[in-house]
Parts: sequence; structure tokens; C-alpha cells
Amino acid sequence: MSFTLRSVKVAPNSASLEEARIRVFDFFRSACRSIPTIMDIYNLDDVVTPSQLRASIASQIRKNCHITNPKVIDMLLFKGIEELNNVVEHAKQRHHIIGQYVVGSGGLVQDVGTKDQANSNFLKNFYETNYF
Amino acid sequence: MGLGLLASRALRSSRLLTSPSPRFSFLRPIVSTPELQNPEAAQAQPEAPPPADLPKRAPVAGARVHFTNPEDAIEVFVDGYPVKIPKGFTVLQACEVAGVDIPRFCYHSRLSIAGNCRMCLVEVEKSPKPVASCAMPALPGMKIKTDTPIAKKAREGVMEFLLMNHPLDCPICDQGGECDLQDQSMAFGSDRGRFTEMKRSVVDKNLGPLVKTVMTRCIQCTRCVRFATEVAGVQDLGMLGRGSGEEIGTYVEKLMTSELSGNVIDICPVGALTSKPFAFKARNWELKGTESIDVTDAVGSNIRIDSRGPEIMRILPRLNEDINEEWISDKTRFFYDGLKRQRLNDPMIRGSDGRFKAVSWRDALAVIAEVIHQVKPEEIVGVAGKLSDAESMMVLKDFLNRMGSNNVWCEGNGMHPNADLRSGYLLNSGISGLEKADAFLLVGTQPRVEAAMVNARIRKTVRATEAKVGYIGPPTDLNYDHQHLGTTTQTLKEIAENRHPFCSTLSNAKNPSIIVGAGIFERGDKDAIFAAIETIAKNCKAIRPDWNGLNVLLLNAAQAAALDLGLVPESQNCIESAKFLYLMGADDVSLEKLPSDAFVVYQGHHGDRGVYRANVILPASAFTEKEGTYENTEGCAQQTLPAVPTVGDARDDWKIIRALSEVAGARLPYDTVSGVRSRIRVVAPNLLRVDEREAATFSSSLVKPEIKQEMSSEPFGSAVENFYMTDSITRASKIMAQCSAMLLKK
Ligand code: SF4
Ligand code: FES
Repeated sequence: MSFTLRSVKVAPNSASLEEARIRVFDFFRSACRSIPTIMDIYNLDDVVTPSQLRASIASQIRKNCHITNPKVIDMLLFKGIEELNNVVEHAKQRHHIIGQYVVGSGGLVQDVGTKDQANSNFLKNFYETNYF
Repeated sequence: MGLGLLASRALRSSRLLTSPSPRFSFLRPIVSTPELQNPEAAQAQPEAPPPADLPKRAPVAGARVHFTNPEDAIEVFVDGYPVKIPKGFTVLQACEVAGVDIPRFCYHSRLSIAGNCRMCLVEVEKSPKPVASCAMPALPGMKIKTDTPIAKKAREGVMEFLLMNHPLDCPICDQGGECDLQDQSMAFGSDRGRFTEMKRSVVDKNLGPLVKTVMTRCIQCTRCVRFATEVAGVQDLGMLGRGSGEEIGTYVEKLMTSELSGNVIDICPVGALTSKPFAFKARNWELKGTESIDVTDAVGSNIRIDSRGPEIMRILPRLNEDINEEWISDKTRFFYDGLKRQRLNDPMIRGSDGRFKAVSWRDALAVIAEVIHQVKPEEIVGVAGKLSDAESMMVLKDFLNRMGSNNVWCEGNGMHPNADLRSGYLLNSGISGLEKADAFLLVGTQPRVEAAMVNARIRKTVRATEAKVGYIGPPTDLNYDHQHLGTTTQTLKEIAENRHPFCSTLSNAKNPSIIVGAGIFERGDKDAIFAAIETIAKNCKAIRPDWNGLNVLLLNAAQAAALDLGLVPESQNCIESAKFLYLMGADDVSLEKLPSDAFVVYQGHHGDRGVYRANVILPASAFTEKEGTYENTEGCAQQTLPAVPTVGDARDDWKIIRALSEVAGARLPYDTVSGVRSRIRVVAPNLLRVDEREAATFSSSLVKPEIKQEMSSEPFGSAVENFYMTDSITRASKIMAQCSAMLLKK
């Protein structure tokens, strides 16, 4: 866990889905507030804009939007807070941030041309990986 | 070995015997079971009458007994349970049939009986002392007891003697976890030691680059000595000294020069002989085993690939009585480090400066597709490599056919192979069938380097039945008695015309076996040679409905399947006129005659010879990384299974060609392996009957056209120059390089 927040107690479980929801929004806000610091300490100005980072955080949260169990949301929230703390504390290095939040899972080569349109599924998969 | 079962049985019954008496705990003698101190008393105890219905026991490892002659069956009692066994079985074998696994160190079912470790002692009624069951023939009505206090005490005592001079090395021993001594001392040993003196130590021997020795650990079971003399046929290992000075070693400072030497690692029950390349690399319980097939020669030995994560750690044999029994050759066992070197991991295109540049699959395939449309169909040529699986060869042939070319073949098969009759390129009597033969004629083949496991079979036959072996070819070192008949086709002609003394040996033989090397496929006078051999076969009646003794010994894993699939080039000099050459892992085709403006695509897993001339490289997966069908030299189709993930951006062979076909606008109609397999079913259904030997149908030579060719007087060559380096994987292997440097030194 983070160094500054180590003393902070783990919040009690959310009583309801509504409470969990509010906590998630709180977390999102605090993450957005730390974006300028992150840009600064990791020297991200030339690779990404604050709004892109914000979108990336939002998409990380939206990835789990189907979860309705407040306990699970609490757990994910905890992980998110921990990650945010690690980032803010400079416990990561520049390439971690770039790899996870700037480039993302799409990979470096963003081949989104139209040339694959006519190809069969086999060929599309083939370009991706050997295992399909 | 079923030792777990043994151990649990031993533990269970000793718990029954040990009366818990805490008062005695500090006075307790060394022997763990107090009752055992007085064996006579234990023996004199009135025996409980055997329960009326003993539970039916299954023989150890599902063994089945084969009675050659029903009158020879005798009945013995093992722990009160009656079993029927053929005459001549030993007590140990009888116990195995009865489902009792006797602990043993020196006994090995494929070696002669030594009877020197004494671990297999059992009690036999009316015999004054325990008997070594492995060396004692079972007699009718014998009452064998494997679970009595006497037997247990005997085992405990033997264990204690064995451990006396055995170092306490287990934490740093590579055998740890799969050590017979470790297992059996857990099951049968004493629970404390009373040995306070110094242990002896023995100087380690240098047996070469493959076998590591820690001779202090040796328990003098002599399995390795017997293996070397009996199976491998080298007299390198032996026993020196007597008593506590007894040592295993080479008599003089010498390396072990057998192509089967790695097997002593498996048969050594302790960690005295371990694998040098594997030393301190991994513990066996961390490894994942994948049952696969060896592709370094045409035998298709069954292997288990042990891997940890993405890395292959070692290769072990798998039992297959019909192919490799339980041995594998050193090449099979140790070439795996070649899979980590020289790998191709990205598609590459050779730029104008002659250097390769990594590109994406999309670009590489686009370039190839463009070029292939600029050449005439008959200028397109494809060669499958010696490690290709049947699926990829099928797809390669289909693809080239769609492009309008039929110039596709598999290296090693020559330019005009006979693919019409399966009997013309298979080992027709089967590898295990060779044991029935009583005379061999080897023509232009050195089985010892071409197919070490087949050679071991021949040796086994020669040893068992004193079969005569005649050999035509360059002088070579076969490890059994043989007559060197000659080096040229002249000798062959003499035998065919019945003018040679060896003819009488052949015609007197009941099951003569003629083995022809696949090296002859590359000769210009191949048809004439085969015609002469067929005459010999006819003269000595080697081809009968019940016995087909005309055998071809192939060299490469891909050859048989390629011929089954009909990979036969249309024109014999297509290489000379090729403008587009597709090498699918082919490294040994001679490209000297290839026009300099030809475009060469190399698809394969190693940067080997084929890459030097390539314009585009497509990385493919090796046989350890894909599922592929291989047919061995006797016509048995077997499958490899992926043990580790592919390297870099490599793809499976058939997928690459399937993708290329689509980019080139001649899309092949299958998207999955099963799709490819159903295509194979149309061409060669036998390739889908995995693990079954599909023998060639009985052939008469009537259907063959008349051969007008004359045999040239050129002497037979040797097909394999260096046993340890025959293909791209073995050439990349450091261990194989060491072996060829140290062991092939003349
Ligand atoms: S080295 Fe191994 S196999 Fe050879 S005698 Fe010693 S213990 Fe037995
Ligand atoms: S196994 Fe019987 S004496 Fe060694």
C-alpha cells in the first residue's frame, strides 16, 4: 500500500449499491485530480494529454460496470486506490504508465486500416496470434 | 513402479505390528518393529487361515501373461493367492502377476539377471532363508510370502547396508524425487541409522558430455554395465575391484561412445548416473510432461517432453514396445537445447543491401503473394523439410497445386520417388517384427547412425537368435557380428545372380530380412538397385503373405508421410528452372543449381542453411510447439503435442500457408486442423489412424514396369555423416556439437 495512506484505515464495507457507487465516483474524482501530478512526475506531456488519461481511467472503471455486488465493488475500489497511490507515489516507472494507460491493451501497432475488411476470420486471427 | 502402493501397504501393516508402548521409547532398539527382533517367533506364530475369498488382484502395471504352451502353466501361491504362470518365470515375475510389486534395484526386465542387490528377498515356504526372488525360478506349488516379518526384516537389512555407503546427498542430487533408493528406503528402510563410521567415497568418472557421474552414490547394481554390454553393445563400462572397493567405471580413461548411452541415466536406480546437460537445472516435480514423438529420425520414438514454463528441460523415453521399447537414442534425448538457439522469431524480408529486416506478417505475405503471381506456374517449386508434419505438407501441396504447379517434394526422397506402392518405401516387417528375422542383408544403410533404435532391435535379434547379418556399404562400425560383403553394387549383383556365398544364408533363412537404406533414393540408378534387391527378395522368398522381409529404412520423420500424401515432383530438374522456391523447413536441398534471380521463401523455425539464400523468412513453430502427425518408417502414424508455446511471432506451418493462400487469392478451403485432417482423409486415411501401424498391402512385383536401367559401379555412400547433427534443430544444439567433437573423433 501506499506510503502516505498506510495509516488510513480501510473503509468499512459499503452498505448498499448506492453507497458503493458514490465511493466509485469519489475515487474517480480523486484520480482525476492527481492527473496533473502524474503528468508531471512521469514526464508524460509529450505522449498523452490529460483528457486521454482521464478517458483511460474511466474506461478502466467502466470495464467493471456490470458488477452489482457491493462487496466486489469495494474490493475493486480498494485495488484501484492502491494502484492510484502507487502511481502517485512514483512507485512505478514511466514505461509502466505508458504501457498500461497510454498505449493500453491495443498494443503499439494500431492497424485499423480498411485493408483487412475483405479478409476471412482465419486471416484476421492469423495476424493477431498463433493460438486460435 | 507402483511403489506408492507398496509403501502404503508396508506402512499399514507395520502400524499393525508396532504395539505402541511409550515406556520403551528411549530403550527402543534400532529395528523399527520390535517383533522383528525375533524372527523365529514371528514365523512360529500360528498363521491365520487365508480368508475364503481373497480380493482379486490386478497384475502390476496391467501386465498380461502370455502362455505359449498351455501345458507349461504352473500354479504358485503368492501371499496365499493362487496364480497361474508359465514355466520359467521367476518368483519376482510370479509376484508381479499376482499384483505384488517386489522392491528391486538390480533387476530390470530387459536386462539379464544379476541378483546382486538382494533387495528383492522374499520368503518361500520350506526354504531355510529368504530367497532373492529375481533370480529364483518359480516352481509348481511354491508358497511365496512377500509380506512376512522375515521378508521385511531382510529388506530393512539390505536397505541399511545399501545406505551405509550411500552419501546423504538427496538435497543436491538430481535424482531426488525420482530415485528408487529414496522411495524404497521410505517404504522399507529402517527409521534410524546406526552407522557412525566414515562413508567410502569413489572418484567420479568422465563418461563424456552426456552422462554425469557421481560414483559415490552408486549402489553397484550393475544395471548400467549390463545395459552397455547387452543393449548398447559397447564394452565400455565394467566393474572394478571387490568388496567395499567395488567401483563402476570404464576400465581405462575413456568416454562412453555409444549412441544409446543416455539410457543409463534412466536405468540407474540412484543418482550415480545423471544427465549432464540437465544437471541442477530443475527438480522433476516442477516439470510438466507432454507425451510426444521424436522427429530427429524416421523411427518416431515415443518421448515425454518435460518442460517448465516456456522452456524444455529434458526429454525422456516413453514405453512403446513396437517402436523404441523403453530406450531412446542420445540424439533424441539431448538435442532439445537446439530448440532454444538460432530461432527465427519474426517475419523478415531481405533488403537491397542483403540484410534481413523484420516486418509484419501482413507485409511479408503481401510481398510473397505479389512475387508468386509474377512467375509462371511451372516455375514455382516447393520443398518440404525433413521435420515437416503431414498436415503442413498436405497444405503445401494443395497450395502449390492451386497456383498451378505440381513441383513439390520432401527432401530426402529424391527427385523420382516411388510413391505408388507403400511397400516400396516402408519398413514392411515392422520394427518389432525384425525380431522374427533370422538373416539380415543391409544394403547401403548404416542403421546405427540412421536409426539407432532399429539398430538396437537388430542387435537384440542377433543376440537372441544368432541371426546372420550381411552388410553392403562403406566400412562401418555396427555393434553386432556382421559380414562385410562389399562396398559397391557389384556385390549386390552377385547376390541377385546367386553367385555369392551369402546367398545360401539368405535362402536357408526362414524369415530373411533385407533392409535398404533411404540414402539410395538420391542415387541415379535407384530403380536398378531396387530391381536387383527385389530379385534377391524373390530368390530367398522374403516376400510371402505371412512375412514381408523387403524393408526400406527411411532417414527422416517427414519422408513416409510425404510419400503417402504424394509429394512427388513433376519434373526432375525443376530446381534448375525455378523462379519461386518455397522451402518449408528444407535445409538440405542443394541450391547450387538454383537460378540467381529465383525468389526463395524460407519457412521454418531455425536460421539454418536454408536461410542463407532466402529472400523472405517466415517463422514457424517447431515440433514441440505444435500438434502434428508424423508417420514413422514402419508406417505408424503418431502425433506430437505442443509442450511449450511458440517463440516470438511464429505460427504453425499449415496456418502460414493457409494464410498465404488467401493473400495470394487462392484461398484453401480449410480453417482448422480438423479441416486439414479431413482433407488428408481423402488422400491418405492411414495418417489419421494415430498410433496404429498401417502395414503396406501385400505387394507382388508384377505390376512394376520393366527396369532397363543399369546399376552404376559407384560405391554406396553413407547417408548420415554425423549422427549427432542431422537437421536444423540438432545443428543448432550445443550439446550435439560437443558430442560430435568428442565422440566422433577418429
Ligand atoms: S552407476 Fe547406477 S546403474 Fe550403474 S551400478 Fe551404480 S547404481 Fe547401478
Ligand atoms: S533385484 Fe533381485 S537381487 Fe537385485
